[in-house]
Amino acid sequence: MAGTLTVAAKEIRDQLGSKRFLILFGLVLLLSSLAAYQGVDFIRNNQDAGFAYIFSGARFGFSFIQIMVFFGPLLGLTMGFDAINKERTAGTLSVVLSQPIFRDSVINGKFIAGAAALATLTLGTIGITCGLTIPMLGFGPTAEEAAKIAIMTLLTIVYLVFWLSLGILYSVLTKKTSTSILSSIATWLTFAIVISILASVVANVLVPLPGGTFRAGEGDQGGFRISPEFTETMQRRAAIQSNIQKISPTNLYSDAASDILGVQSGFGRGFQQFERTLTLGEALAANWANIAALAVGLVICFAASYMMFLRSEIRPGD
Amino acid sequence: MTEKVIETTLLTKRYGDFTAVDQLNMTVDEGEIFGFLGPNGAGKTTTILMLMGLSVPTSGTGVVAGYDIVDESREVRKVASILPEYSSLYGDLTAYENLDYIGRLNDLSKAEGEERTNEMLKIVGMSKWKDSKVESFSRGMKQRVGIAAALIKQPKVIFLDEPTLGLDPVGTKEIRELILRLNREQGLTVVMASHLLHEIQITCSRVGIINKGRMVVTETIENLTKEMTGSEDRRVEFKLSEVPSGLIGDLEAIESVKSVTQENDRLYVYAGVESDFMVSKTVVEHGAVILLMRPREYTLEEIFMKYYTEG
Repeated sequence: MAGTLTVAAKEIRDQLGSKRFLILFGLVLLLSSLAAYQGVDFIRNNQDAGFAYIFSGARFGFSFIQIMVFFGPLLGLTMGFDAINKERTAGTLSVVLSQPIFRDSVINGKFIAGAAALATLTLGTIGITCGLTIPMLGFGPTAEEAAKIAIMTLLTIVYLVFWLSLGILYSVLTKKTSTSILSSIATWLTFAIVISILASVVANVLVPLPGGTFRAGEGDQGGFRISPEFTETMQRRAAIQSNIQKISPTNLYSDAASDILGVQSGFGRGFQQFERTLTLGEALAANWANIAALAVGLVICFAASYMMFLRSEIRPGD
Repeated sequence: MTEKVIETTLLTKRYGDFTAVDQLNMTVDEGEIFGFLGPNGAGKTTTILMLMGLSVPTSGTGVVAGYDIVDESREVRKVASILPEYSSLYGDLTAYENLDYIGRLNDLSKAEGEERTNEMLKIVGMSKWKDSKVESFSRGMKQRVGIAAALIKQPKVIFLDEPTLGLDPVGTKEIRELILRLNREQGLTVVMASHLLHEIQITCSRVGIINKGRMVVTETIENLTKEMTGSEDRRVEFKLSEVPSGLIGDLEAIESVKSVTQENDRLYVYAGVESDFMVSKTVVEHGAVILLMRPREYTLEEIFMKYYTEG
């Protein structure tokens, strides 16, 4: 345990002082402030909207949750993609492992440090966002809203740490950091962009759009008359798309986070809909499977990297 | 009776079909500087990695300072240190921070770590640069800090993998003197892997020659040289005023002379001491004057070439 803490302490210092972390923190902070401005705009235009909507409401552009959906994989993967292989290449791994520590101290310490950095980033961003918006709105969160924000913060950290552990897995699996960074970018693009393209292509194959163009129905002055069949087709397509996207961790996160805060958002859900706000209990009940899936994914990725790291050896040339 | 610090029995490491280390037996005594010699890819590094517990043997056993290298790996790592082949420090940390980190990994308290870090930096002569980042150092400086880092735990054994590779002559000399001093003053047992023959010759008391994963010979350098310079392989170098035709044939005709070779202006006669008289007499009879005549010792290079090619 002493070894783990020593490694973690060193890694946290490295992480928090690294340009990489500062750039990402700056970027997220900037985007989140812009998102919070939109949240404020949203709240001012909706009588029913409470304070928690600064993280989920947006009439134009992105909310905080949507920013995390898009950049979350990048943040987590960036913190982990070179954790092990960088030290292997630099030869420092063999020196560290030749000290009287347990071998798992290295990977545990790095995981703890990465998670701590991401937690700092999330807490810092949310704290600063609240600090900026309370004066703008003139009121703060109610007790339940504060609890909702706290739970959403925790969920965001779990979501980011999931990507961190996937990044660490890449750093164990690959020898070169150039390979693991490419794998990370590919993963990010897949979940941020490719999966929604894929979902619409699959939907189109399964339920093709009817032929021809839309025609104004008779008697409708310049408007479209949408037949019930057409509506049904579109609904089936949307259902297929959303089911495909359900496997994406980004979607697990955005569904759960949006329900907790009260506004549905995220890719693939179409327009922002203002629905009845769920209570925290209702939101958690409806989304426990999503949250559990993220946590399980996190544990699986870390367990896989842990076991592979313990079984790997230092070879000449490492 | 000196104690054995390292002992391996039939130590073997295979990577798939490739056998990197093949049934290696070696012993290193306490307080020795043992030269681990072999061409690139002979299995030197793999052996050291196994002894440090960084790689697991496929079969065979090894004991370092009384601890089994597999079952008591952590104990081994408390008393043994390694300086890997390539610089192994965190470039973005200072010399002091690097050593301090290693100290902490060895469970040293803050005060203890600070004291030893300063002491070790002084020993390797790097106190002046303790707050500079390691990435700004020359290779020789990095090696010195690397050695200091390896000494933090106050080891009984230190494994140096090609410690002078890529260093300039001044750096090489500094590292060599440092190793000798540590051995002399602290009784540190040193295992030094290298393919630089000259380096091994002037640093080590005993060498083990490894080729294709097998230990070909373990001997003191003195004995190695003696063995080859013994009567059987003795050779005498001549420099003559001229080499008259027919001389070589006549020399070879002498009963105790094995062979004669000519290289540039030198003549090498492979023969025992008893034939010296007849050889010189024959030379003079051919009308040549002997400008130089001396038994020629084998260079290490020649010794190693013999073992490398035999393996």
